[in-house]
Amino acid sequence: MAVSLSKGGNVSLSKEAPGLTAVNVGLGWDARVTDGAAFDLDASVFVVGENDKVLNDQAFVFYNNKKSACGNVEHQGDNRSGEGSGDDELVSVNLAGLGAEAKKLVFAVTIHEATARHQSFGQVNKAYIRVMNQAGGTEIARFDLSEDASTETAMIFGELYRHGEEWKFKAIGQGFAGGLAPLAANFGVNLA
Amino acid sequence: MLELIRGQRLPLSSITHSSSVEVAFDIQGSLALDLACFGLDAQGKLSDDRYMVFFNQPESPCQSVRLLTPTTFGLSLAEVPAGIDRLVFTAAIDGQGTLRQLGASRFRIGDVGLPKVACAFAGEIFAEERAVMLVEFYRKDGAWRLNAVLQGFNEGLDALVHHFGGEVAEVPPAPAPAGHVSLEKKVAAAAPQLVSLAKKAQVSLEKARLTGVRARVGLILDGSGSMHNQYKRGRVQEVVNRLLPLAVHFDNDGQLDCWAFGDLPQQLGSITLQNFHDFIDTDHGGWRKWELGSRINTEYRVIEQAIEFYRRGNGATPVYILFVSDGGIYDSRRIVKLISEAATLPIFWQFVGLAGRNYGILEKLDDMNGRAVDNCNFFALDDLHDLSEEILYDRLMEEFPGWLKAARAKGIVA
Repeated sequence: MAVSLSKGGNVSLSKEAPGLTAVNVGLGWDARVTDGAAFDLDASVFVVGENDKVLNDQAFVFYNNKKSACGNVEHQGDNRSGEGSGDDELVSVNLAGLGAEAKKLVFAVTIHEATARHQSFGQVNKAYIRVMNQAGGTEIARFDLSEDASTETAMIFGELYRHGEEWKFKAIGQGFAGGLAPLAANFGVNLA
Repeated sequence: MLELIRGQRLPLSSITHSSSVEVAFDIQGSLALDLACFGLDAQGKLSDDRYMVFFNQPESPCQSVRLLTPTTFGLSLAEVPAGIDRLVFTAAIDGQGTLRQLGASRFRIGDVGLPKVACAFAGEIFAEERAVMLVEFYRKDGAWRLNAVLQGFNEGLDALVHHFGGEVAEVPPAPAPAGHVSLEKKVAAAAPQLVSLAKKAQVSLEKARLTGVRARVGLILDGSGSMHNQYKRGRVQEVVNRLLPLAVHFDNDGQLDCWAFGDLPQQLGSITLQNFHDFIDTDHGGWRKWELGSRINTEYRVIEQAIEFYRRGNGATPVYILFVSDGGIYDSRRIVKLISEAATLPIFWQFVGLAGRNYGILEKLDDMNGRAVDNCNFFALDDLHDLSEEILYDRLMEEFPGWLKAARAKGIVA
């Protein structure tokens, strides 16, 4: 039985799934039913250190950089078939392989060209993030973003982070104005 | 004043603590937009048609939602029933065009006469949409919140009703012939007094997915003595008025074929937008002078005559016949035989019992076995005024779509 978190809540993945070495993180939202300009949502992962900045530029994993330099974080893109079907985007993380300097993985979703298209998270319904054990596919934790988002064009859904010897997952649900570029800059990504 | 952008949400309490709220729209540009407010249940469905508030139904039953002017709604949020979870304000294009052509428009929300927030929107945020949800009020954690939705549907009002209703029949709409003018426009040009009925008919037609269907429409009127009072009180004329917009919609000629019957049938003149308004009192000398033999009920003769009429040179165009009677049926056996055999013809029979009691076989025709398709429906009214016009149109269009589908499948209808 997966742990269902509310905003701000956290759970020890290591305790929920003893022997855990790797997870898949699924992110999803309701396909919209209305017509109009296309709506693209993209998931990104920031692998950050003690100072909350990315370890290096390849530690910003997104659609243009699908794998971290260490190879332990991989963006699987659309997950419309196969395991964990139903998620819109899937990221696999080899927790056991991550170096000690990787303290935290931040999972965010941004709306592509939101400003030009006059789009925001106020138009996105039933968003969620869930963490599954790669071995067996069991869902360990889940967070349904029940807050009513509004004009934000980027949203941090959740975080995987080290707590002593454990890996924990925290439900964030925090909006961020400005989209992917300012979000990336916030985590110290050099976009130049 | 606080300016909202698309997708923005906020608690209503951040703009007003009053339960009386005014929502005003300022729509610019050449598009003709019809505004409406849909009161939806927790599942997002319009479970009660009376909570679609628009020019034709300007108040919800509890008066918590009122259309005050063509572009202003008044809300009494404390009075909104608990079953209504969401109030969605929509705009749908009446006629041609897309929302891309919308001018610099805005809505304002606030206390009565004192707007507190505004939201500007224009064609640039839309593509091919023809109907749009502009703003919604919704309950969350016991309080009302606002969302500047500004999202819509290319298929127009039809898609909106579908989105909120799920009552739309499954018959795929036949493509509308090129140059097909909207019902309301046709009626507005020739008979402005019928525009309000035409709009209501249009909504029912869209719900039943019948907007692209071509058909002929016939009316058969019981002229027997017991109907006297219905004629005298003008109720029969009202039946004509209500049916005519459907005929104009379905029929390129825009005319309604009409018969009356007593012991004998008589085909009357065709009813059109030009002659309808005193048709019952004037056609063929007026209803008192119609040549119907003795004023008793002999249904089968008029049914035979109508069948014969549509058999000649009608091909496979569907025919919708409204048969109005106060009952007192004669020779049920012949009626059963005629209607059963007529199931292979492209004719649908809608029987309506008006102000009578003994409808006999008419009530049972609907459930008869042994027909190629179910080609008739029946419902009864004590008084035409017992049903709102909207519900009347819904009922009149209740089984017609299903018949069309079945008859098409069997090759009875083109």
